[in-house]
Amino acid sequence: MRNIKPIISSLLRSKSGPVLLLTQIVLSVAIVANASFIISERLALIDRPSGIAEAQVLSFRVYNFDPAMDLRKQNQQDQLILRDLPGVIAATSTNMVPLSGSGWGDRYVDGPDPETAKSLPGFSFYMGNEHMLNTFGVKLVEGRNFYPEEIKMGPAAKSQTALITKSIAEAHWGDESPLGKVVYQQDIAITIVGVIERLQGAWVDSSNFEYSVIQAVDFGGAMSSTTYLVRAKPQDIAQLKLDIPKALHLENPNRVIDEFYTVAEHRGHSYSNHELMAALLSVMIVLLLLITSLGLTGMVMFNIQRRTKQIGTRRALGARKADIVWYFLTENYVICAAGAVIGVVAASQLGQQLMNHYSLPQLAWQYPAVTVLGLFVVTTLAVILPARRAADIPPSLATRSV
Amino acid sequence: MFFYYLDMGWRSIRKTPVLSALMVLAISIGIGITITSLNIYQVMAFNPAAERSDQLHAVQLWSQGPDTWDDYSTIITYQDAMHLRTGAIPRAQAAMFRTGQAIQSDNPDVLPELRSVRVTDSGFFSLFSVPFLHGGAWTEVVDQQPAYEIVIGKAVSQKYFGKVNSVGEVLYLNRKPYQVVGVIDDWNPSPKYYDPTNGSFNDAESLFVPFSLAPVEEFAVWGNTNGWQFEPMVTYGDRLVSEKSWVLFWADLADEQAREDYRAWIQSYIEQQQEMGRFTDTAKADVQLADVAKWLEVNKVLRKDNKILVALSALFLCVCLVNILGLLLTKFLKRAPEVGVRRAIGASRRQIFAQHMVEVTLIGLLGGALGLLWAWGLLHVLTERFHMDDALTRLDATLWFITPSIAMGAALLAGLYPAWVICRTQPSVYLKSQ
Amino acid sequence: MLSMKNISKVYQSELVETHALREFNLQVSEGEFVVVTGPSGSGKTTFLNVAGLLEGFSQGEYLLDGVDVSSVSDNESARIRNEKIGFIFQGFNLIPDLNLAENIEVPLRYRGFDSKERKRRVEQALEQVGLASRLKHLPPQLSGGQQQRVAIARALAGEPRFLLADEPTGNLDSLMARQVMELLENINQAGTTIIMVTHDPELARRAQRNVQIVDGQVCDFTSYQKSRSTTSTTAEPA
Ligand SMILES: Nc1ncnc2c1ncn2[C@@H]1O[C@H](COP(=O)(O)OP(=O)(O)O)[C@@H](O)[C@H]1O
Ligand SMILES: [Mg+2]
Repeated sequence: MRNIKPIISSLLRSKSGPVLLLTQIVLSVAIVANASFIISERLALIDRPSGIAEAQVLSFRVYNFDPAMDLRKQNQQDQLILRDLPGVIAATSTNMVPLSGSGWGDRYVDGPDPETAKSLPGFSFYMGNEHMLNTFGVKLVEGRNFYPEEIKMGPAAKSQTALITKSIAEAHWGDESPLGKVVYQQDIAITIVGVIERLQGAWVDSSNFEYSVIQAVDFGGAMSSTTYLVRAKPQDIAQLKLDIPKALHLENPNRVIDEFYTVAEHRGHSYSNHELMAALLSVMIVLLLLITSLGLTGMVMFNIQRRTKQIGTRRALGARKADIVWYFLTENYVICAAGAVIGVVAASQLGQQLMNHYSLPQLAWQYPAVTVLGLFVVTTLAVILPARRAADIPPSLATRSV
Repeated sequence: MFFYYLDMGWRSIRKTPVLSALMVLAISIGIGITITSLNIYQVMAFNPAAERSDQLHAVQLWSQGPDTWDDYSTIITYQDAMHLRTGAIPRAQAAMFRTGQAIQSDNPDVLPELRSVRVTDSGFFSLFSVPFLHGGAWTEVVDQQPAYEIVIGKAVSQKYFGKVNSVGEVLYLNRKPYQVVGVIDDWNPSPKYYDPTNGSFNDAESLFVPFSLAPVEEFAVWGNTNGWQFEPMVTYGDRLVSEKSWVLFWADLADEQAREDYRAWIQSYIEQQQEMGRFTDTAKADVQLADVAKWLEVNKVLRKDNKILVALSALFLCVCLVNILGLLLTKFLKRAPEVGVRRAIGASRRQIFAQHMVEVTLIGLLGGALGLLWAWGLLHVLTERFHMDDALTRLDATLWFITPSIAMGAALLAGLYPAWVICRTQPSVYLKSQ
Repeated sequence: MLSMKNISKVYQSELVETHALREFNLQVSEGEFVVVTGPSGSGKTTFLNVAGLLEGFSQGEYLLDGVDVSSVSDNESARIRNEKIGFIFQGFNLIPDLNLAENIEVPLRYRGFDSKERKRRVEQALEQVGLASRLKHLPPQLSGGQQQRVAIARALAGEPRFLLADEPTGNLDSLMARQVMELLENINQAGTTIIMVTHDPELARRAQRNVQIVDGQVCDFTSYQKSRSTTSTTAEPA
């Protein structure tokens, strides 16, 4: 590094080359910092735990088209059949499937008088029976599961019970236990009997994704099409996809049974946009670093060609091979350092723009920092190969080439 | 002269294969990334209504109570839809929603299957220019007096009847017999603009039944049902009279006059409803007529992610440009002595400039071709890897022309400065030092 | 001081072997000014390169300052070049994008001197060649003779024991050539051993000792040189 001053003045005197490299590094830092920030944002989204035993929960739809069928009775019957199937750990009817992208959303208020009552946060509204808790595999941290006799046939019954997630309880009541609290939907009173540690809703991009409620309603049979959830060991799922239609068709053939997906598959589907974004941006980063280092290698190669005689002279004047390699590395680091400073400013400007136009969160400082560090490593590699070739230029070149 | 330049360019590229390869690679990667994100963007930003885009309008009503929803809902209530259906101003109009039915025919070999069905009015087909192969839509009378009539797609016809022309045949939906009145050709607008509410790139339905049948058959709603106040819906009748929104409504309004008249007509309806205690958010209660472009925007068919991607890849292309600029400078300056000789022999600046620009264009063209390959490969990998809709990753036809243009334009831009520098070479400088 | 015994240097190319030096013998003692002449292609530059450790040799024994340098490492020979030897080239070989001071500094930086010491030596060296006022100029802004003087200053700045010069006046007109020659003579007078290759018979005559290389071998004309210098001293009072 002891050559740094003459290198800087030499850089300042040579015209476009370093400027181009600088521009490239500035742009690279700006892009890579923001792209990697977006990637990590998306990966963090995808990583949020749902609270559900995703790989074990299979959802499917039964569509009954026999006009003579008593849908309510059939629903009860079908659930008994499902629970009897080998491999099934638990089964329930439901009105919506977690992480599936379609479902029910609703709201409670905390008092009977609509004028004074305050609203709880909006939530994903699951309707299920006493088997739903076990089917999801979610953890009850307070209170109790539903009693079978509490299960209502529709959401309109006047007095109901519900389980809510801890997130809702904390958002509305803070540290106070929500157990026994009564919430309302118009004139329907709902008593909270239990708290679920974690249960996500249907829409991964919703701000209320972590807020969920299970109300003690068996929604199956309310319409001609009913969705069921079955929990089984992952290795039994494939067999169940065959067994379930067989068993239910045996009971009554006038129905279509389809749309078998595990919650894990729904997750993959729901997050595919985010994964796509993360993947494309990753590709971009890798290619960008590749391009930058290829360009750098090319420029250094050119510089060496142009300075062949100079290098020979330096060698004749007593430069060691290491001195020559260091010369090019120092030159690179000087440009990199300048590029890093401007690049970090550019990155935060770009981040600001993205934040304003596309409501992205504020760029965290670590990303430009790591990017700059990475750039130093990558450019070192890009420079060191041609620089070592430069070091092999024989000192006798100084006398031989006139 | 041009061919001489071309020849010189090609020779020069071959003389410095590594440098040239680096440049072609840099352009191609930049182009590949840009084209990939541009392609996804283009498909999403595509307006399938074409020239009808500013005539077709989705009707949105501010029917919610105060302090509930912040925006116009994309769907409206059944009661409002029923009123809109009586309107006389639009050239064509249709209410619609999606349901699902179990399909069977008299052919016992084909097992019943569950299919999406669009419940709509006869106006649907003219609104969205649906191509008929045989027969046509049901009559407007059926829109008022329900009849079990159906329009089906070519593929459905083939599957259930073994022929394309199945007009007059009977198809069973949930075991009810419907008479086929029309068969349409394959029709799948992308984005699915007439109803993007459940997947804007989903396939279009290929079964259509009259909207007037909805209260009779109580078709389940396979789409969104939005409410802003609690209303238990125990029966289908509850749904029909509720404030819940679940129906889409489209109207074909030819010109500004028609739009004004229509808006006024709906205004008076809103006022009349307000007297009956509806549309309680008096300050905002209004109608919004969204033409197709606006509609796609309202439904966020084009996600902001895609804009970010396009913005970032444009910057990416800039990096590639700067990169190439540096490499070109390198390459050209290396040739300065040769240029000095050429200048001494009598080449004009303009000729030197032209020669180098031709070479740059050649490099750009090569890079563009390679870049198109990258984009094609990348899009394929993405379709494979993610459950992406095919429509999103098919290379748009126009890109086959746009890509080489961008590539050459980029290369020319990058080549401008180096070519300018080299054409200003003083012949004496290099001859003296030789 | 410098002693070459039976040095031979062979260039191996695909087709031919060139014997650039064969059985080359030469002794140079401290404080001498040796002028090397000879026809083109006879091996003068090769000899200088070997002497200056720019190139290795194929056979023989080479003692520099009493140290056998036939098998020193690359780094070690770089150190010797830097500390003991100063080079002056026909093409000056100044680095075009460094100013004069920075050019002269180059070997000093490799030696690891601090900035104060470097500054002192740069100023002193420029003083010696009479260009003290041109510190900040870039090489292309100088005439050939001035450039060569800067190159000499660069060679001197390290205070070498040896100065090796390969046709230092080859690119200069006769007036400038004489100036450069006078400069070198002054330097020699101050105690630095100089070996200079030249084509210029006038310059050759001025030196103490003239070594002629023919076909890679030495023809020493020391005696002639001595007699010439005697005549010149006797002639002076006349
Ligand atoms: N690198 C080399 N490879 C092969 N032959 C060389 C090389 N350098 C010099 N020679 C040959 O060695 C001989 C001596 O060259 P040189 O010492 O440069 O002569 P001069 O006396 O003109 O300085 C010449 O015949 C030359 O062609
Ligand atoms: Mg020579």
